[in-house]
Amino acid sequence: MNDDDDFLAEAFRRQLGGTVTVEAIRAIEGGASCVEVWRDLDASGFVDAMLPEAAGGANLDLAQAFPLVQAAGEFCIPVPFAETMIARAILAAHGASIPSGVPIVLAAPSPTIPGARLVHHALIASSGVPTLVVATGRGDDVFGTGGATAIDPGDVLATLPGDTDTVMLAAAAVASGLMAGAMARVLEMSLRHAGERQQFGRSLGKFQAIQQQLAVLAEQVLSTQVAARNAFAGSAFDPVRVAAAKCRANEAAGLVCNIAHAIHGAIGVTAEFDLQLYTRRIKQWQLAFGSESYWGARLGRARIAAICDTTADFLRLHLSAGVA
Amino acid sequence: MFIAGQLGNLPAHIRARTWAGFDADFSRAMAERGWIGLTIPREYGGAGLDAFARFVLVEELLAAGAPVAAHWIGDRQSAPLILHYGTEEQRRSFLPRICNGELFFCIGMSEPNSGSDLASVRTRAERVEGGWKLNGQKIWTTYAHKSHYMIALVRTSGTSEDRQSGLSQFLVDLSLPGVTVRPIMIGTGDTDFNEVFFEDVSLPDDALVGVEGNGWKQVNAELAFERSGPERIYSSLVLLDLWAKLLGPEPEPGDAARLGRLVARLAPLREMSIAMTALLARGASPITEAALFKDMGTEIEQQIPSEIADAVAMRPELAADPELLRTLAYLMQFNHVFSLRGGTREILRGMIARGLGLR
Repeated sequence: MNDDDDFLAEAFRRQLGGTVTVEAIRAIEGGASCVEVWRDLDASGFVDAMLPEAAGGANLDLAQAFPLVQAAGEFCIPVPFAETMIARAILAAHGASIPSGVPIVLAAPSPTIPGARLVHHALIASSGVPTLVVATGRGDDVFGTGGATAIDPGDVLATLPGDTDTVMLAAAAVASGLMAGAMARVLEMSLRHAGERQQFGRSLGKFQAIQQQLAVLAEQVLSTQVAARNAFAGSAFDPVRVAAAKCRANEAAGLVCNIAHAIHGAIGVTAEFDLQLYTRRIKQWQLAFGSESYWGARLGRARIAAICDTTADFLRLHLSAGVA
Repeated sequence: MFIAGQLGNLPAHIRARTWAGFDADFSRAMAERGWIGLTIPREYGGAGLDAFARFVLVEELLAAGAPVAAHWIGDRQSAPLILHYGTEEQRRSFLPRICNGELFFCIGMSEPNSGSDLASVRTRAERVEGGWKLNGQKIWTTYAHKSHYMIALVRTSGTSEDRQSGLSQFLVDLSLPGVTVRPIMIGTGDTDFNEVFFEDVSLPDDALVGVEGNGWKQVNAELAFERSGPERIYSSLVLLDLWAKLLGPEPEPGDAARLGRLVARLAPLREMSIAMTALLARGASPITEAALFKDMGTEIEQQIPSEIADAVAMRPELAADPELLRTLAYLMQFNHVFSLRGGTREILRGMIARGLGLR
């Protein structure tokens, strides 16, 4: 990450600190309209950050946009911000017009589609072609976050070049980035709680058993962040990079949530405590857009198909961020 | 090409030893190509290349399963230590000989009563007329019996109660009178390990490396090199690649997923190793990062043989490929060591906790 990325992500975090409060998240989960939060986000311009400058954007590439996705996860944004940012970038890249002022979900095949109940537009793969449609969420919101089990497509607004994989890759990459951000916040909350909560006359963080658990938590978060960042590289989402990222994020998800909740104890799952806002979403993204076995099988087949003598060669050629 | 040529038809179960495989001739052939001491300046006999060039080379060697143990310690940590902390005379004396494959080094850290509690070492060097007198014992010293020098962490003042202060590092010529090296045989019959005894060993004045009493800090800098390299993720790679090859072009979904999940674990770790290479090259000492990396890296190194054992034996009616079986069995009998060598999991997690501000 360079200094510009830091600067942009920090500005975005300041913006989110003002608009995406935990009160707003709870209100939206409780059925309140997300229009106000969305309007503020849209007006901030960050959701257009990947559009060309002529279209009012900052022309960010995937790598530059990654810190925004991660920040969105850290703040548990209750509307599909990152999804819309990526959807708008895909639409703009193909010269399609962007529906003004509205959020868009990435509705790739998935048992649950985060945010689908909160929006009226979706990018789907229809007959194998990426298509922007008017959409209505259908089925249960099983994580209580505004998701749906499917969408009913309405009018077709645009069809784009690409294949069935285009939306899947974007959706899984975004989910990985959001998971990385949410996990970083969960680590921060767990460290804070371990420092504050006293048992047996001292803070939890002083117990070696807890320290070892927090070390594992930190490891899982760090490797997920590295893997997710690696999915945001180049000019379009690459199947191998996305597979590695979603696979890693999914494998980490269970461990991260288990340790964070173990450290918090019962208070962590209560409605009034913030931890569950994050961990429920981590679980939602874990289930969405392909499991570790789905992406693992794709990655494994890519490894076997690659003309590489060793897995080290494969990592260097297909999964490296640069230098070596 | 050179590596493949040197390895010839070395079977996978031998190549699986990678940096535990000792072959002096291989190391000398590497030296002839200028491949030892890649990052050491040319004036000291090195190649004067950057840390990334070494990363690329080391990764190739490990992935191919080259027997690099003979020059491994000297190349990875002794030469950088001498370059950084040594006197000009020490640099001129030792570095060219490490780079040309003449001197092999071993690590003198653990003692019978100082395992994870390294600061409690009791081996002692006393100042005497014209030098130092060394007494004590080191243990679990890999390839001491085939090395020329040990860099030993010993006490030069105070007692083991003084913990991190009063420790210093010495270059110990293992051919000196009073040095006894005794191999330790492990359950598999291998004798890579040794006990090393020092009985009134006379060391010259210039055997001291760096500053007297600064040994703890120096050893920790050395450990950052020891814990951050690709050898902490690739110890089971020869097995993984042999298994992947045997899966053929159309693997079953379960096998493909198993392979992919392991690759997905390795990918971010490799990125971390590269990032630490950059930090080390800038003179930083990423101790916490190296602990995080090594803890996760050795976990995947240990998991690869377990996963492949599961994959092979989930179809008990099928005969396993004999070479796959030999390679798997070697690693299954050795992989528990991966999280011990270079600092145990529990110690590393304690260091991470310190890095997180908990200690």
